[in-house]
Order: sequence, then structure tokens, then C-alpha cells
Amino acid sequence: MKFSLFTRGGWFRGCALFALALLPLRVTAAGDEISFGRDIRPILSDTCLKCHGPDAKGRKGRLHLGDRSAALKSGVLSDGEMLKRLVSADPEERMPPSDAPRKLRDKDRDLLVRWLKAGGSWPENDRHWAFVPPMMPGLPEVGDSDWARNGVDHFVLSRLEREGLRPLPEADKATLLRRVTYDLTGLPPTLRELDAFLADEREGAYESVVDRLLASPRYGEHMGLDWLDASRYADTDGYQNDRLRYMWVWRDWLIRSLNSDMPFDQFVIEQMAGDLLPDRNFYTQVATGFNRNHRINSEGGSIPDEWIVEYVADRVETMGTMFLGLTLTCARCHDHKYDPIEQKDFYRFFAFFNNIAEAGLGPNNGNSPPFIKVPKSWPELSEKETVFVEPVPVKITIQQTSVPRPQPGAPDTVMVLHELSKPRETFRLERGRYDHPDKSERLQPAIPEVLGGWRKEWPKTRLGLARWLVDPGHPLTSRVTVNRVWQHYFGVGLVKTSDNFGVRGDLPSHPGLLDWLARGFMENGWKLKELHKLIVTSSVYRQSSAASAELHRRDPENRLLARGPRRRLSGNAIRDTALYTSGLLVEKIGGPSVKPYMPPGIWASVSNAKYKRGKGEALYRRSLYTYWRRTLPPPTLMTFNAAAREVCIVKMDQTTTPLQALASMNNIAFVEAARFLAERVLRPKGLDDRGRLTRAFRLVLSRSPTRGELKILAADLEYYLDDFRKRPAAARKLLGVGEKPFNKKLDPAKLASYALIANTILNLDEAITQN
Amino acid sequence: MDIANELYLQQSRRSFLAQGALGIGGIALNSLLLGDEAERTAVGGLGDLPHFKPRAKRVIYLFQSGGPAQMDLFDYKPRLAGKFGKEVPKSVYPDARKTTMTSGQKSFPVAPSILKFARHGQSGAWLSEALKHMPKVVDDVCLIKSMYTEAINHDPAATLFQTGSVIPGRPSMGAWMSYGLGSENANLPSFVALTSNGRAKMGQPLYDRLWGAGFLPGRFQGVKFRGQGNPILDLYNPAGVSRAQRRRMLNALGQLNREQEERFNDPVISTRIAQYELAFRMQMSVPELIDVKSEPKRILDLYGPDATKVGRYAYNCLLARRLAERGVRFIQLYHRGWDAHGNAPKQVKTQCQDTDQATTALLLDLKQRGMLEDTLVVWGGEFGRTIYCQGKLTKQNYGRDHHPNCFTYWLAGGGVRGGMSYGETDDYSVNVADKPVHVHDLQATILHQMGINHELLTYRHQGRDYRLTDVHGEVVKELLS
Repeated sequence: MKFSLFTRGGWFRGCALFALALLPLRVTAAGDEISFGRDIRPILSDTCLKCHGPDAKGRKGRLHLGDRSAALKSGVLSDGEMLKRLVSADPEERMPPSDAPRKLRDKDRDLLVRWLKAGGSWPENDRHWAFVPPMMPGLPEVGDSDWARNGVDHFVLSRLEREGLRPLPEADKATLLRRVTYDLTGLPPTLRELDAFLADEREGAYESVVDRLLASPRYGEHMGLDWLDASRYADTDGYQNDRLRYMWVWRDWLIRSLNSDMPFDQFVIEQMAGDLLPDRNFYTQVATGFNRNHRINSEGGSIPDEWIVEYVADRVETMGTMFLGLTLTCARCHDHKYDPIEQKDFYRFFAFFNNIAEAGLGPNNGNSPPFIKVPKSWPELSEKETVFVEPVPVKITIQQTSVPRPQPGAPDTVMVLHELSKPRETFRLERGRYDHPDKSERLQPAIPEVLGGWRKEWPKTRLGLARWLVDPGHPLTSRVTVNRVWQHYFGVGLVKTSDNFGVRGDLPSHPGLLDWLARGFMENGWKLKELHKLIVTSSVYRQSSAASAELHRRDPENRLLARGPRRRLSGNAIRDTALYTSGLLVEKIGGPSVKPYMPPGIWASVSNAKYKRGKGEALYRRSLYTYWRRTLPPPTLMTFNAAAREVCIVKMDQTTTPLQALASMNNIAFVEAARFLAERVLRPKGLDDRGRLTRAFRLVLSRSPTRGELKILAADLEYYLDDFRKRPAAARKLLGVGEKPFNKKLDPAKLASYALIANTILNLDEAITQN
Repeated sequence: MDIANELYLQQSRRSFLAQGALGIGGIALNSLLLGDEAERTAVGGLGDLPHFKPRAKRVIYLFQSGGPAQMDLFDYKPRLAGKFGKEVPKSVYPDARKTTMTSGQKSFPVAPSILKFARHGQSGAWLSEALKHMPKVVDDVCLIKSMYTEAINHDPAATLFQTGSVIPGRPSMGAWMSYGLGSENANLPSFVALTSNGRAKMGQPLYDRLWGAGFLPGRFQGVKFRGQGNPILDLYNPAGVSRAQRRRMLNALGQLNREQEERFNDPVISTRIAQYELAFRMQMSVPELIDVKSEPKRILDLYGPDATKVGRYAYNCLLARRLAERGVRFIQLYHRGWDAHGNAPKQVKTQCQDTDQATTALLLDLKQRGMLEDTLVVWGGEFGRTIYCQGKLTKQNYGRDHHPNCFTYWLAGGGVRGGMSYGETDDYSVNVADKPVHVHDLQATILHQMGINHELLTYRHQGRDYRLTDVHGEVVKELLS
């Protein structure tokens, strides 16, 4: 077995301990033995629990099929009642009723019937798989052990062998380099990097590329993007007039933490409770901005108590999605319909976050307390400046008759968490309404028992909560995290519903692999870069993505992983690529957001704010620094399915629309970039047209064009040149698009023609895709 | 346009519909774009939709942003004249749900409308003098005087009306319709959003989420038509680039992309090729669509002097009719400026000057074309306004704060009973006295007219089956003909 050296730690320590029973995808064929957890529970959750589930108030017929003892006690499993209801032709009797929103598919009905006829057995230990802490499984045996480079490959290959499939061969070097460079830095390789890698025939050449990319400061910028989306990071409040705020210092912290490979457990603790740590300091305090990124309502007339509830609930829900992979939102108004989370559990979580010294209304421009002043020297603070800072308490003044507003934080501040000296009281809110507290019972901070134990030494504060989240015994945080990392590479997580690991979530495609990664991640000190390296150096990742039509039909989402990942780039990467390959990109890490090109009137037509476009460098920074106005987010990025940053989102869809085509063909940023890509290949001496076309093609696609491709481009070039020679004014018009003037030493008709060729190349499917 | 360009266009039109290489006709395109979820109909709708025979084929929703004052327009309260300046009793209007814009006022005096009301049409509906044109269509309109909501601030209230929830992240009504019913036009989006400002005031901001797709796939979001520059973002070729050049480029893209497809067999590539072609066709179909000057003079006159002014309400109303004719399923207008915290009588009149004629014209125009029967027109804002005065009350002037407890909406066409008034408010126009209609009820009713059972059109997100009406909503059957 070819295990790479860096994995001598925990990834393999537990390998030989014991093999966990593997739960395959739901592919039960007739004749297979029925497994309750794999086959029956998902059906019950899908179609029955809405009326016969954990929510006591919504329950019908006093039947609870979400709980073993209740279900057994009811007798319906054994006395034939449930069976009768399933097979009955009488519409009055038949379940689910004909008007139920969720239909029961025939094959699922058959499964239930088979299960009941076989006695309806419900194992005593029926905990939902995701609530059982992951154990380190042994590596499955595989027939072709030469193919497997590391543990990832064992799990995937053993599944493929069972399915009678073979993995595809390794992608060619250029494709692989382009793929991994995008995945780790969000940009394509340079020609120098490409040539060096193509020429490097040493063993481990690929691994050293991976090391180089992981060490690149672009890594933190690129990997930070998913976290910014999930953390609903933005430069404005998000309600109504959508007033501005200053949180970029937190974004800086994020990029630095990722680049320095801060262990993920510490990363979580600092963001959740950096203000409560015994050795807290300025940086850990900045980290807590994570829980201040939610929207804040500044609309005059708002009722403060209503909105504080909203902010606290947002924190609970964000934690639920990002760390637990659970939809806690459902339990805000009532007991969860499917997962064993009671409404009170939601408010016990709520109690952890309900002690922030904050105001209900925002200040109407500026940061909302608590905030702290950021020294001018940020991010290189002197030792004196790294100490913890006590935020100024909230000072409310009444404006416009009776609108209570806090003092605003200036541009040199950043919002943080800070505890009230006396916590707010927390009650269950009837139907989630702020003015309907159930005062009969004051709720204390606590976690639901079903999610594991609480250590005595943990304080009942956010700090304790954070320590619980990253405890090695926690069933979810590590699984949910490695699953999102997997999704980063393959587009779909091992658990497809990366935002839901509850009983209604999908079962993992490779449960052993998920647990192996989750356990290994924890035991290896929660090191993200090692996790990334493990995945990108696997044979699974390195496969070619050029699959047969038959394989696409058989496995359209590539859940079996019999081919390499092929995905469209994010909007960020698409724009950054245009800037980078044309030489326009200004690489500067961190700092306040910038305002690049935006068509006129986007803000002014529907709001009371005007977009003041930046100049010079501001137009050419990486997209993650683009000013994010929450109610009117950057249109081009949104066109390419960016998350809106209003609430926590960990999974974006990848719709293809004509608006995307219009953006990348016509948008000023893309046209200007095409122009500069043209200049870039026209400037060097000693190149003929073929050489220039090849160079432009390689800059964007990291490969040389085929003879046929070159022919098409050359013919088009000739056509455009001919055309622009006849219409010199049109050529000049095209060259006038964008702020940067064109190189007057170049022939305008030629430059314009090359600009259209560059525009063509940048619009190729291959240009916006990782093959 | 020159002849060469036109030739290219025709060629591409023909090749698009006939070309075997692409293998996609205009209609099949939709089903191709989908593919991820359930079975789709020929126009890209869900296989089990419509749930029953629809009464309306399309919706035009004239959203009046800011919250129009019901008592200055429709909810006539003659007996309040005698209560001028007297306190609104706390028993009628408790303090708890007053906004903090006014909750600190020492006094909450009754501000009766100073606008005159008269009865109109066979139905004898009371309308304010600010509505000079609406009497012509009042018998086609079904007034709902008993609308109510829970939200008292613009943002959550508008979000609730458009997405069924005050919390962002849910799909808008038009996105639900696109998702459920697909598109009738292969060259235009099935959901279009249009915005306009009033002359009275800048008005309240609007947000992308109001026409967003929420957790539905992004292709279902409303396409915003813009009042300046490109009518659709980046629609036009860059300066200096001709349509012939663009055709050439698309041919190259198609050819090179098909080679990729042969190698990778990824179906997404043919979708992308098709979308580039659709973009090219939109570059033609949209300018034709927005060419309102091609309308006969009598039509332009009907909509009034703003009919040809890009980005005005009247222009948007005319555009709405043109979109409706071309099979666009959900046309969402937003008109800003109804937020009359001070100077309410004047602001209401100015808002009506901007909108009344065009709204009326839209109904008349649809009717004369026989389209009102299957077009549901919806008029209303995110909430109503207080009967108590905000700020200083005089004989000539008053301001009104936000008021969620009762306000007026109206519906027309699309199988709705014209010439009726539904629901009652109390003597102060503060609370619903009879037949309350909640936001979710209205949404359920709109979906119903489109042939959709609002309880059955769901989408699984984070393990929950979401629907537009959350867990609420009842179709208001009495409104239907």
C-alpha cells in the first residue's frame, strides 16, 4: 500500500481495530434482509412522522412512530393494524391518507409490508446513525490494492468492486494540476507552474505541488469563501435600508487562521467563545465576530425585544447547520417533527447565546454594540495591542419620537461577542413568538441528551458549548465538517444533505469513509490542511473525469466515485480567472471590501443608497473582497449561484442559466479582462498568430489547443480582423470598455480581434469548469 | 438592425428549433434544464401539476410598496369625521403592537380621511377621490377589506407577502410558480420583476429576495427588468461588437463545447450550449418586447403620459401586458412610495396620480383582448396605515404609521368575482370585524387560481417539506366565481 508519509498520525492508527458494519446506500433488492435503520426508518420519517412523530401537538391518533418504546407499546406493529392500514383499499382506512402531502411510493409500501409481515422488528439500539459517535473503522479489503494510495481509496474501491465497476485511470497531468490548483487556491496554474509540473518526472512531484498550494496565501482566501457564505458574512445589516457595518477585520482573521492552519477545534472555540477563554486576547475576541455576522434590523419603528430574539435564534440555527448538521430551526416553534429535538431543547441552546450585551435595533449605519476599536496597526499588532479589550456598554438614545438606538461603531471598530453581567432570562416561546414566553419554566443552557454527554468541568456558557462541539466524543461536528470538505471537492458530500444529518437527511454513500475521515480528523489534531492533502492525493480524486455516457446515466451525481470530479467553477473563481489570466488581478490579502464594476443604477433604482464604484486597484481584487450588500448582493456573483448571505447556507445549487452566458460574454469586467488577455499575448515579440492563440488558450485552459481547435480560432481571428479593419471605429469602441486604457502601440483592429478570441476562450465550458 | 444580422438571427432561430446536433427544441430545453427533481411536463412544470383545472394562466401582481392607507382609498369610514382629534381608545388599539416610531407619542388622535368618497359602478363600491380612473373598472374588481398580517416593519412584512415567511431564504411566489408550472415561452423567463419609483417620495427599498428563488434552484428566480441601461443585466453586446460577430463566436463556442461533450459525456455541457443560444435569442426577443412605442396611440393614451417612459409605473404596466401576451407566467411589479408617515393626504394623491390611470388601463386593456379572464391581477402592499395620526394633526394634514391589523387588497380577473367587497373592518379601520384574510390565505387563493393546491406544492429543504404558505393558509372560496 502506498500511504504517503504525512499520514503517519491518526488517520491510520485505528485501522486494524475492528471493522464497522458498512451501511451501503439504500439499494435493498428483493430478498435482502431488511434493516430497520437503513430501510424502514427513512420511510417512516419521510411519510409518517409528520402526523405520527415527535411533535406531541401535531400528533394524530396518539401514534408515535418516531420512538421505539412508544411504537411498540401502541401495538400497531404486531397486532396487524399498521399492516391493515397499509394494504387497505378503503380510502377511509388506508394510510397515508390520499390528501397527505407526502405520497408513499409503491416500493416503500412494499418494504413496510414486508417488514411488518416479518414481525416488524425494531432493534433495541435504534439510535440514528449520526447520533452515535464515529468509531475508527478498519480499511476494507480491496482486490486491486495497487490502485489504493491511501485509506480514502480503500473505501471507495471496495464499494466499486461490489458494484462491479472499475475506477477511471488517472487524469493527465495538466488536467490534474489545473483541478487541484483551483480546488486549493481558486485560480488556475500559471504557464510556468504548468511547464514545471509537466517536466517534473520525479516520484512525489504531485505531492510537492500540493504542498506548495497548501502553503500559498491564496489557500486561505479560497477556503475562506465557503466559511464566509455559511457565516452569512456581509458588509451591511440586511434589513430595509440595509445600513453599513464593518466586519472585514473578522474576514482578515478568518483568512489568517486558515493560512496558519489553526486546528479546527481551536478555530471553532475561538469563534464561538473567544471572549470567554481564560487566555483570551484581541485576536480571539475578533474571532467571535462569527456570531455577529447575522442580520441586524435598523428599521425605525422596530420593537427591540422582537429582534434580539431573532439574532439569538439565528446564532442557534447557524450553529445547528454548520456544526451539528441539524435543522434546529424546526424546533423554534414546536417540537421537531422528525428529529428527537424538543422545542425546549431549542431554547436551552438559545440560553447559551441570550446573554450578549447587544441592542435590539441597529444604530442605522455603523457597527452595533458590542464592538471594539481596532488598532491602526491591524493585523500586525504590537504586543500591547493584543490584549483583550472591554467593549463600551450599550448606550441607548431615543430618536424620532421613540426609536431606541444604540451608539454606532466607527469604521475602525469590529463587532464582537460580550457577555452581560446579568444574563437575560430564557423561556420557551409559544410558536416562536417573542411576546409569548412560557413563564412557567425558566430554561437553563443545556444540550439535548440525544446528542451526547456534557462534561462536568465545562462551564454552562458558550465556552462550554464550544468545548462540547469539538469534544472527541461528539457524534456530529467532525462528520459534518469532513463532509463539507468532501463536498468542496466532489460537489456532493458523502452525506448528500450536507445541511441535514438528521433522520430525514440522506444516508452516507460511504459510511465507513465518512467515519474514517471524521475520526482521523479529530485524532490528527483537527488539521484541515492534512485533511485536504489526504483527499487530493487519493487515487479517487486523481481519476479522470472523462466518463462514458453509460456511467453518467448509471450514476449522474457521481455518488459511487467511479470517476474524478467535474464541476463548474464558482462565480468568484470565474471572475478571478478572467482577472488573473489577463494579468489584471491585484493580489493583496485582506483589508476592507472593495467596489468593483457594477452596472449603473442597481442600488439606486430600488433603494436609497448609491453604489460608488471604486477605482484602480479596487476594480481588480479577488472577488471575496467584493462589497457585499445583503439585500442587493453583487449581481454577477449571484448570477453564478453565490449564497445570498442572509442566513447560513452550506450548499449551493449549480443552475445553468442564460444570464450566466450574458454575464461572461458582455459584462464590463469580463470584456476588459478579455482585452487584457489579448494584450498579454500580443505584447511578446517572436510569436505568430498560432503561437499567440496557443498561449491565450493555455493561459486559461492549461493545455494546448488541438489542431482542430486552433483552426477554428484562427479562422475566427481572421474573420474578426477583416471585420474590424472595415469598421475601425467599432474596434476602438470595444477597446474603450473598462477603466484601463489599451496599449496604443498595438494595432486596434488586431487587438480588438484578439479580445473577441479571448472572450471566446473565457466563455468555453472548459474555462469555467474543473475537468 | 442591418439585413445581415437579421439573416443570422433567422438562421439561428431555424437552426435552434430544427438542428439535430443540438437536439433541443425550445420546449424540451426547459425539461433539460431541470432534470434534478421530479418528472417534468413539456413546458418544464412538475409532472403532477396543475392539481386541478386552473382559472388563471398567469398572475400580474401590482405590489404597492410602503403600505397604502386603506382609509384614504377604499375603507370608507364616514362616521369617523365626528371623532376628529379624539383619542383612539386603547381597547381598540393597544400599545403593544404600535411601532417604536410612534409608540412614544403622548397622544393617538383619530385622523379621519379628508379625501372625499363616492359610490361607483353597479356594485356601488366606495372609492376615494384620489382614484379618478378606477371607477371605470370597479365592477371587475374584488375588494378585500379584511387583509391582515403580523409584521409591522417594511422588510419582514414585504418578505412575508412575497415569500410566505418573514425570515429570508424562502422562495418567492413567482419562483414557486416557475418551479411548479414551468415556462410557456422558450425565449423569455417565466418570472419577471419590474420596479418603479413614485414622484411623491423615494420610498422604501426593495430587496433581491422578494423575487428570489430562496432554496429552490436558482433558475427559478425572477429576472429583474431594469429601468436604465440594459433591460436585463448584460443583455447587450459590448460596444463595438456586432450581432454577426457574436453569432460567429457562438458557433465557435458550440463547436468547441460539443467536442468537450464528446470527451466527457457530461450532460451539463449541452445545457450550457443551449443556454448560450437562449441568451442570443433573448438579445433579440427582449428589445422587441420592450419596444412599447410600437403600440398604437390609443393604447399609449390609455396608459397615460408615462407609458413610454422607461422605469415608470405606467411603462411597467404596459410591459406587464406585453409579457402576459408572450406567456410569461408571473409578472411582479413593485411601485414604491406609499410610506406616508407625514403629509399623508398629499402623498396618497401623488401616488394615485402615478398609478391609478395605468392600473385601470391594464385592466381595460386585458379585458378588451379577452385576457382578463385568465389573468389574475393582484393589487396591494405589505400592510395598511394607522387611523391615529403620526406627528401633528391639523384639519388639512396628518401622518400615518404602519398598521398590520387591517388593510385593503383587490383582485381582478383570473376567475375572481368582480364587483364584490369582502370582509369588514371595525368603526376605526383598526381591526378586522368580519371575515379576516391572512397573507397566507391570499397566497393559497392565488395558487388555487393557477391550479395549484398550496398544501401539495412542496420542496424538501433541510429535511423539511416547505411550501409557500408555511403550515397555514386557506383558499378564500367566496372570492371565486
